[in-house]
Order: sequence, then structure tokens, then C-alpha cells
Amino acid sequence: MNIFMNILDWFTAPLSYDFMVRAILISGFIGIVCAVLSCFMTLKGWALMGDAVSHSVTPGVVLAHILGLPFAIGAFVFGVGSVLAIGFIKSHTRIKEYTVIGLVFTGFFAFGLVLISKNPSNIDLNHILFGNILGISTSDLIQTLVIGIFTLITVLILRKDLLLFCFDPIHARSIGLNVDVLYYVLLTLLSLTIVVALQAVGIILVVAMLVTPGAIAYLLTDRFDHMIGYAVLSGVFSNVIGTYISYYLDASTGGCIVVLQTLLFVMVMIFAPKYGLLRKKLYR
Amino acid sequence: MSIQVENLTVDYNGKVALHGANLHLGAGAIAGLVGMNGSGKSTLFKAIMGFVAPSSGQVLINNLPIRRAQKQGLVAYIPQSEEVDWNFPVSVHDVVMMGRYGYMNFLRIPSKRDRQVVKDSLTKVQMWDYRDRQIGELSGGQKKRAFLARALAQQGTLMLLDEPFTGVDVKTEKAIIELLLELKAQGHTILISTHDLNSISTFCDQVVFINQTILAYGATQDIFTQENLARTFGEIIPNIKTDRD
Repeated sequence: MNIFMNILDWFTAPLSYDFMVRAILISGFIGIVCAVLSCFMTLKGWALMGDAVSHSVTPGVVLAHILGLPFAIGAFVFGVGSVLAIGFIKSHTRIKEYTVIGLVFTGFFAFGLVLISKNPSNIDLNHILFGNILGISTSDLIQTLVIGIFTLITVLILRKDLLLFCFDPIHARSIGLNVDVLYYVLLTLLSLTIVVALQAVGIILVVAMLVTPGAIAYLLTDRFDHMIGYAVLSGVFSNVIGTYISYYLDASTGGCIVVLQTLLFVMVMIFAPKYGLLRKKLYR
Repeated sequence: MSIQVENLTVDYNGKVALHGANLHLGAGAIAGLVGMNGSGKSTLFKAIMGFVAPSSGQVLINNLPIRRAQKQGLVAYIPQSEEVDWNFPVSVHDVVMMGRYGYMNFLRIPSKRDRQVVKDSLTKVQMWDYRDRQIGELSGGQKKRAFLARALAQQGTLMLLDEPFTGVDVKTEKAIIELLLELKAQGHTILISTHDLNSISTFCDQVVFINQTILAYGATQDIFTQENLARTFGEIIPNIKTDRD
């Protein structure tokens, strides 16, 4: 009974703070959006692309701040801009895709750093790089919710086409689907999700939220619908519990979330019923 | 159903992969595409699928440009095994249902008819019992039959098969050939690339020789000759039975 009360207390005590209630709810919501998209990222092998877009967003966030625009607009413009730049350079030069990605995102990111250092007013580099979910403003909260819900609905509607695009673009094309459009739709959804996730974990760790839940789920099931379910479960769990842990440890929220997520992955990697290392060892 | 390739030239960054190729196949034909690696076989497939833009010439399917033909679901493609990610979390049934997407609205919710066609297609290739298997859990022959079922479900009347017999047991090969002959009788046009030259005269009624361009095409008994094989393969003529031997 005492233990039960202690556990209950552990969960309820932080809720007496308004900012914690907000942080926990929004990080859970962000967990859902990222988890759904992470399934496509995992299957398409787009981790580096996620990393690229998230870093490229930096100058957009800073410029939006300077111009007094919602940060989401700046982030989105530069996110999509980086994608277009990568696509253009890849198709017009002989340089290989991964090299192009590395080249573009570091360029964008560096430009962002220059902008921040020349406008030291009230932009906190740390918040951009590492997130600031405990101090999220109401307008940022609304932005995050609106973009997140829009992204979720779009993915839900296009789920089957996107899955087919990931699995077999040749067949997608042979039945008349526009594969180029699907490619850019998925990248735009990626940019939007990154905009959503920025608040929670910042630019540096965003890619973890876009890869890890999908990877966890991929080891747990052979069915795509179940995969989305597992990804959402693990995403929401690590975001919410990670926020709690950061409260008690007084440690970086983004850091706690991603460490928890990674631990979850390691456990699944070892104990997953079908694809876990343990099972492979035992039944070989 | 017909396919018409007119004076098709394709180049990649200045390197010509296919030059001035002409080909016409009518309804109810199985055509074996014969050529070495790098002869332009896959380029021809890509051009017919609309994956590469020709620098000159055109491909018409049923007198329609490629995109229009594809929108009508006329072109079914059966990929090589290496092109598929077998770890992908989809079941056999999911894959075959993908053949029906063109018939569904944008939400891709299967109708009763879609489900029936998928069931019939799977039954036709004896894969209905395996419908819930993840695709990686199949044998080589079963994998091939699953994708064949998808092409059947799509009801495309032009079928492109890229090396369908590699990694496939004799039983499946026989089953595939029987199915192709049946489709031919129904008026389908089938273009099939294969390394197995010996089997060509057994079930292909047409042969297409390719080496940077289409050297010759026509009825197997007329053109499947040592001479054409020599033109296609150069000095390294494989030991093949032709009808004229």
C-alpha cells in the first residue's frame, strides 16, 4: 500500500505545477506524431535525412525570431529548402546522395549559428539546440498542436500510398501513382514533424524521436499497423516518463527522453519475442 | 493489348544505353527478351515503365502514352527478387492487395470485389494458404508466386517479368509457365527477360534480341537462330538448341 502510494505520489506531485502538466501532455502528443512518422523513416532508412532536415531548420528558427514570425514558419521553409537543395544537387552533379546530405545540412546549420551569434538579443541557442519543453509558451503550444494534428491526419490518409512508396516504388509507379509527389510529401511531413518535435528535444536530438520508436516497433512485429501501434506506445511512454525523470533529476528533458528511448530499444533488441538477440541465440 | 516501341533512344549522362530501338508486340504473345548483361535489357524495361525519359522516340501501350496506360492499370511488373526488401512488415495478402490500389479511391479501402480478386489471384497461384505469412517467410518459388498473384490482381494486360526463374524450383517454374500460357490465351502481352535460353523455345512464341538496340524480333521459329544469337552475344555463343538445329 505504501509503495503504491509512493508511486502514485511520484506521478502526481509534479502535476501541481502548471508548466509540468503542459510539458507532460505536449511531450506525449509529440511522441505520437514522431512515432507514426518514425515507422516510415525506419522502413525507408531515412535516419540521415531526418538528421539533415532537423539541422537545416536552425537558420529558419532564428530568422523567424528576428522577424517576429511564428518559429514554425521559418523552420518549415528551411526544412523544405534543405530537401529541395539536396534533391537539386543530387540530380545535377555527380556527387553521391549521402555526401550531398552531409554537405547541405552542415552548411545550413552553420549559417544558423552565424545568425544566432550576430543577434544575441534574446535567442537562447540552448533552447534551439536542446529544446525547452518546460518553458513552452502558449503560442508555441498551439502551433505545435495544429501542425501535429495536421501531420497526423495527412499521414493517416496517405498511409497506404506512403507504405507502398517505401516498399515498392516501381509498382507504385506502374499503377500510375506519382512517386515523385509521394517522395516530396513524405519529406514535407518529415519537415513538419521536426518542427513539432523541436520544442521537446531540440535540433540535435530530434532524429532520435524520428528513428528510435520505429526501430523498436520494427523488432516487435511483422505487421505495419501493429508497428505503428508499438511505435506510438514506446514514443508516448518515453516522452512522458522521460519528462518526469528530468523533473526529479533536474536534468535535460530532451536528454532524459532520448536516453530512456534508447534503453527501451536495447531491451527490445535483446528480449523481442521473435527478432530479439536472446531468442536468436536460444533457437539457433 | 499491344506494345509499340518506336525509334527509342535512351542515354544516361551522355552514355547511350539503347539506340533507335523498334519493337511491336500484339495481343496474346509471350516474348522472351534475350541479351547479355549491359545490353540494354533493363533500360528497355525502365523505358517501358516510364522510369527513364527517352532522348528520342516513344513507347505506346495500347496506343496510349505510358502514363495514361499506367493510370488504367494496364502495365503489371514482376520485380527481380533482389529488388524487394523481404524484411518489410507486409503479409502476402497485403502485397497482392497492392495490385488493387489503382481500382480504389484515394483512401485505398478495399471493396468486396477487391477482396474477391485478391482471393482468386492467390488461389490461382496456390498461395491462399500462405496469405498471412510475412513475405520474408516464404521460399524462393512462393515469393515469386506471391508477386505473380499481385500482377494477376492488378489485371494488367501487359506483363513485364524480370528474370522470373532465378532462385525458383522446377515445380514453380513449370507452374509460372503454365500460367503465362493461360494469360497469353486470354490476350495478354507478356515480355520476359531470362538468362535461360534453352527454355525460350519451349514457351515463348516471340523472341526479342537486344544489344544496345533491338537487333531482331519476331516469331520464335523464324528468328531464334544461331545467327541472331551470334549477333546478340558476339563471339561467346552459348550452347543452345534452336529450332533449326
